[in-house]
Amino acid sequence: MATMGNNNLNAKLVLLGDMGAGKSSLVLRFVKGQFLEFQESTIGAAFFSQTLAVNDATVKFEIWDTAGQERYHSLAPMYYRGAAAAIIVYDITSTESFTRAKKWVQELQKQGNPNMVMAFAGNKADLEEKRKVTTEEARLYAEENGLFFMETSAKTASNVNDIFYEIARRLPRAQPQNPAGMVLVDRPADRSQSAACCS
Amino acid sequence: MQEPELHDLSDDSDYAASQLQQQQELKSMSRTDSGKKGGDNEPDGAEIVFVKDNVTIHPTQFASERISGRLRLIKHGALLFMTWIPYKEKTDCTAQSSSSNTKLSERDRNLYTIRAVPVTDIRSIRRHTPTFGWQYLIIVLSSGLAFPPLYFYNGGVREFLATLKQHVFLVRSADDANVFLVNDFQDPLQRSLSSLELPRAVSISNSSSTPTLASSAAQNDNSERTDDGSSSISQYGGRHGQKVHDPARDLSIQVLEKFSLVTKFARETTTHLLREIQNDGFLANDTKKQSQPLTNDNHETGLDDAQTVPNEISVTPDPLENTLCRKENHFKEAATRVGTFELVDSKEFDKLTLVWGQPRQPPLGSEEWATFLDAEGRILDSKSLRKRIFYGGLEHQIRNEVWKFLLGYHEYDSTYAEREYLASVKKADYETLKSQWQSISPAQARRFTKFRERKGLIEKDVVRTDRSASFYDGDDNPNVTLLRNILLTYSFYNFDLGYCQGMSDLLSPILFVMKDESESFWCFVSLMERLGPNFNRDQNGMHSQLFALSKLVELLDSPLHNYFRQNDCLNYFFCFRWVLIQFKREFDYEKMMRLWEVLWTHYLSEHFHLYVCVAILKKHRAKIMGEQMDFDTLLKFINELSGHIDLDVTLRDAEALCVCAGENGAACIPPGTPASLPIETELLYPLQDENDV
Repeated sequence: MATMGNNNLNAKLVLLGDMGAGKSSLVLRFVKGQFLEFQESTIGAAFFSQTLAVNDATVKFEIWDTAGQERYHSLAPMYYRGAAAAIIVYDITSTESFTRAKKWVQELQKQGNPNMVMAFAGNKADLEEKRKVTTEEARLYAEENGLFFMETSAKTASNVNDIFYEIARRLPRAQPQNPAGMVLVDRPADRSQSAACCS
Repeated sequence: MQEPELHDLSDDSDYAASQLQQQQELKSMSRTDSGKKGGDNEPDGAEIVFVKDNVTIHPTQFASERISGRLRLIKHGALLFMTWIPYKEKTDCTAQSSSSNTKLSERDRNLYTIRAVPVTDIRSIRRHTPTFGWQYLIIVLSSGLAFPPLYFYNGGVREFLATLKQHVFLVRSADDANVFLVNDFQDPLQRSLSSLELPRAVSISNSSSTPTLASSAAQNDNSERTDDGSSSISQYGGRHGQKVHDPARDLSIQVLEKFSLVTKFARETTTHLLREIQNDGFLANDTKKQSQPLTNDNHETGLDDAQTVPNEISVTPDPLENTLCRKENHFKEAATRVGTFELVDSKEFDKLTLVWGQPRQPPLGSEEWATFLDAEGRILDSKSLRKRIFYGGLEHQIRNEVWKFLLGYHEYDSTYAEREYLASVKKADYETLKSQWQSISPAQARRFTKFRERKGLIEKDVVRTDRSASFYDGDDNPNVTLLRNILLTYSFYNFDLGYCQGMSDLLSPILFVMKDESESFWCFVSLMERLGPNFNRDQNGMHSQLFALSKLVELLDSPLHNYFRQNDCLNYFFCFRWVLIQFKREFDYEKMMRLWEVLWTHYLSEHFHLYVCVAILKKHRAKIMGEQMDFDTLLKFINELSGHIDLDVTLRDAEALCVCAGENGAACIPPGTPASLPIETELLYPLQDENDV
């Protein structure tokens, strides 16, 4: 759940999606700026954190990266429970992963936090020649279900920071933004860099 | 008036209950003043005040070598004696006391028989209540020696303590709710003093001024309710605040257990030496007492000011304690003639384990390996082999031969010829299995969703399994194709289980070692016989291991366990990856293979991997608790330990923990927990989820 202190927000974010869709690659691109062609599968779950500056506030994402295989589905509620945001990831070259992503959306709509910010990410956008899921189809589905949608590529970094930035922007604020003149607490220059990359 | 109830075990509800029960059962219960020695004058004969059958010792790990007997408390005059006499036949529950033996050797009988030990010689009794298994008591004598743990197969621990309490002064240790101090002092000052200092030898006079009972103690043979030791510990911890349950104390008791297996010869020698030393005169007053104010934190037990201890009271310290280290208010030392050893607090425990586990040996090489084989290729002494590998591992060039035995693909007593024959048969079997999916045409595949999906899962995973290792790197690496073929064949061989993420991690090192497709497949099959439940849809294999892990941590490091409990980390999911794929991702390739062959020896335990988990957690306990890690942080921390774990140190620590935990550790692990072979069921891998492939 997103919690707020001054202008600093902590937000739990969970990544869900079919195995091999690129959940870990998206997180590692966002958190470490890295990409591995053959990112190893996630066993159990992995946890990362990364802070973004949005307007005059910071959002610290606490990111849960989960194992994608259906077999581990029973563990998922442990990770999405209490999440303020979710990124549901599919692979644009795989219709199965799109089907599965839609199932995740349904599950979160039923089980998750009703105020959860949900992003729908069509990953591997660099593999245009292998595309199986059209942008329009996905966009339509996202609009119908109140998700915001982006096609991303962890490999080229396209839209990766943007999707996290957009989530940060959409997170409900517990209180109205403070007027100008608010000094950000203990957030020196390194944080503004991460903001710059997401502009 | 010497009134034991003043120092009652009133914090022990079980105790109170049994006390009440006994009072109801006993028609009259006459107590005498302490001044009237032996007020209850028995005739010449002895009176049996407690008897319990099927009280058993476990001299070794093997159930066949357990010795059952009858435990009795016998009142003779004013003195109370404890005896434990093994039955003639260890399985004969109704046998009377032994005089001859049929099955047991005379030596064993003499070794373990407890013949009329005056209860005044008992310093303390520790009650153990494992979650699984029988309650047992460890009785520590004032000499510092302990009898082997007495397992109460028919219950009766409560009654035993209750009976004892009616005859001697028995008080619960202020440091540990499961330890009962036994002594028999006339002097209340001396008594309160002794209650402060649990494991130390206090000179115990043979005076006996106990309140006595006119009638014999109630014989309650009803099976005793298994009380929950852990809850009594936590209850206790809550009351005493900073006095948390001390793992080192657990350990000390367990060490005593180990050393309680000393021969009768050693025991007698010790007793003899002790007597000599004590006869030499009292040692100087122990200044330590001054730093130990009477801890009057247990108001219910009625320790009052009148019992504050003057320093002058002379207490003979255990003469064997002189080399031991002391911690303020904590006595975690135990000494026997067999060896003096230190039991230190948990901060120093890490150091202790470091020196404790046996040094690692160089890996077993081909020349030495040859000595394990007879002329026809049989392994004569598989236990020695497994022990050798447990302590040293294998040189890489013989792994492809030896792993087949460790994994169970080859029988130890098979010959070269038999193995060669087996290989050819198994190769044909493999090809048959493989042809099952190879013969699926594209047209059939279009109508076979499960096959397509399964193939898709496997193909997604093999291309990202160990691709940084040279054996698997590069485009179109044929070994990646072999991984795929073997996993796909396995998913047909074990269609119910199918493919699950993590399996490619388990197969990859096997293929790297075996090189051969068919042999890799069959070795993988053997490994999956044990680890298959890790991948069950209902996660029960993982749950049982993580549960066992939590019980082991509770046993071996209860402060850490309490920390995890307070922070909602008891599900131990932060260890999920460790357990699921046997630390595959935590070490470099060579170290990981070393660890695997050590685990596969099943030398000390089939569940040695769980002790490895405990060892790693204990190594980082200060950081985990010091930084107040919550579940998220802990998971991140554990994941990031990958590549930073010292294997040799971890193995030694795990060995020490496994040895220390002994049967208590084994009792933490439910039967059928991987990597034990599963308990046979009709459906090995029940299908639950139709969506699952």
